[in-house]
Amino acid sequence: MNKSGLLVRLAIVISFSALAVGFISAQLFYRLTYLNEVEVSNLEITQLYQTVSSTASIAAYLEDKELAREVINGLATNDVVHGARISIAKSDISTDIKHQNKPLVFNLNSPFEKDKKVGSLLIVPDLNYIESRATKIGEGNAKALIAQSIIVTAIVILISYFLITQPMVRIARALHSITPGTSKRLTTPDFHENSELGHLVRDVNNLLEKAENQFTEERKLRKEIEVLEKRFRMLFENSISPIVLMEPLGSILLHNKAFKVTLEKIGAKFRKNYGPLLEDLFENSDQLTKWEQNSFTNDEIATGEYKLNCKNKEDSVWVQVVVTSIKSDDMKEYYQITLHDISKRKKELESLSLRADYDQLTQLFNRQALEKKILNYIRSQAPFAIVLLDLDGFKQVNDVYGHDAGDEILIHVSGQIKRSVRRDDLTCRWGGDEFVLLLKHIQEKDLRELVDKLTTRIKKSHYLKGYDKNVSVGASMGAAFFPEDEVNLQNLVHLADQAMYAVKRQHDSNPELSLLFAKDIIKPSDSKTL
Amino acid sequence: MIRVTKYVLAFALCLVALPSPASPNDVVVVVNIKNPTDQLTKSQVIGLFMGKYLAFPNGIKASTVDIDGKDNLKKRFYQQLVGMSLARVNSFWSRIKFTGRAKPPLKQPTEEAIVRFITLKKDAISYISRSKLNENLKVVFEFNE
Repeated sequence: MNKSGLLVRLAIVISFSALAVGFISAQLFYRLTYLNEVEVSNLEITQLYQTVSSTASIAAYLEDKELAREVINGLATNDVVHGARISIAKSDISTDIKHQNKPLVFNLNSPFEKDKKVGSLLIVPDLNYIESRATKIGEGNAKALIAQSIIVTAIVILISYFLITQPMVRIARALHSITPGTSKRLTTPDFHENSELGHLVRDVNNLLEKAENQFTEERKLRKEIEVLEKRFRMLFENSISPIVLMEPLGSILLHNKAFKVTLEKIGAKFRKNYGPLLEDLFENSDQLTKWEQNSFTNDEIATGEYKLNCKNKEDSVWVQVVVTSIKSDDMKEYYQITLHDISKRKKELESLSLRADYDQLTQLFNRQALEKKILNYIRSQAPFAIVLLDLDGFKQVNDVYGHDAGDEILIHVSGQIKRSVRRDDLTCRWGGDEFVLLLKHIQEKDLRELVDKLTTRIKKSHYLKGYDKNVSVGASMGAAFFPEDEVNLQNLVHLADQAMYAVKRQHDSNPELSLLFAKDIIKPSDSKTL
Repeated sequence: MIRVTKYVLAFALCLVALPSPASPNDVVVVVNIKNPTDQLTKSQVIGLFMGKYLAFPNGIKASTVDIDGKDNLKKRFYQQLVGMSLARVNSFWSRIKFTGRAKPPLKQPTEEAIVRFITLKKDAISYISRSKLNENLKVVFEFNE
């Protein structure tokens, strides 16, 4: 049995209360009994007086001491009487009186003249006797009370056990074994349909009912949330674009598969932190930070295109970075970073700009691009030379073997040109079979040397695979210097062109001539006519 | 009821107020004419006849005398003196006789014997009917009330 169980506590409390009440009642009863006994004794003594009054009166009247002694001795034989005394006019007749506690005094009147007092009778009650009698009665009462207390206590405990404790303990045990949310309910104990326990059981059952409903509802919601979560996860995991959720300082909280794939692609290892905005992954992280700060001052979304840091330097992975600042309900800031792979587009754009500046066949600058470069040079006042080169015999190859063979010759020539010029020199397919070399800071002597080498290489016969034939072409070149010859683009080109034609004109007479300088052919008068 | 009580009370008052005229049958307490005692109170008479006093107030020894038996005069005397029947008076005496202190009155067979006895004895005291009074006797107490 549980020490702090209800029944034990109840039993202890009731027992102690019964004991206390019994004790107090016994005391009270004893006191009352004592007083009652005193009264009873007084009554008895009064009755004794009445019994002896006539004799006592006679004794007093006649002042008969013998008779008086007889009377008081007779009185003293009673248990309730401690002692007695008859006082007559001149003398007292008394038994042995040790104390005078609560004596009763009666007047003795003349037996013949009722209104004439002839003496008095004093009777002292025996308090010890009275007390012992009261104690005896009190003991009896106390025993009865104790017996009654024990019986009442036992009955109360039994009733409490069967009516209150046992049903409560059963309810408590049943409730203990019930898991909220299930369909299990408490049963109302017998005879308790309308009692507080019955109400308690009903209320508890109502609560359980509510809990079950709530649990069902919650389970349903949870299932819905699970489905939703699964979908979100699917959306997140299967996204082609890498998505990362991070704290502003760079700790990555969430990332999807695509992010790992991208990391693998650029040869980076996965880390928990790549710095703010994943800056360690980018080539120009300074720009990234600056851009992000600018963007966030105006908006909550920052978009920009940046190149990722690739382990293999030949690869280039460009991404569009979209950073969204998210504030959670508890006012914490997060960044959601989405990377869209735009490498392909970037490559296309690059090739587009290549197409714009380069000749597609020869991969040399086209005329437009070179003109821009020349203008740049002129603007920066850097001295340079341009060499205009026109192929000899190209038309014949084209006519005999077709355009493909012509193209092959053009590619071959441009290759020779690339091989022959210095590293910083620019080369261009000017159009058709015309090429232009743009040579910065070059002396006439060096230029001549360079052209000679080039001419030799161009003239070397070329094997046309498709036709199993060796063909060879020649080259005529005209050169003009900036700023010595001219300071204007058109005029410079024109001068070089004229020098080149001058070479062509002398071709028959001087087949070894391949280069002429503008200053050699231009007369002041000529230039004016141009 | 109250009214009736009133009348009764009024009648009783009349009886008390008016001294009843002396009747020849009245009981009177007498002594020898030569006895120095002239007057006794009722208490003194009771004291003498019920054994309390053995002497007259002046100290002269007294001899109380009773009529023997259940005489009518005796009956009336004790009835008027202490309000007791003769049986009760006898029982009183029998109760105290053994202590030996008090002595009951002497006995004379008749009223006439008492008259003679008192005429002869100076310290004797007794009761007779008023009609039996003579010159040798004097009344020391009579029941007036």
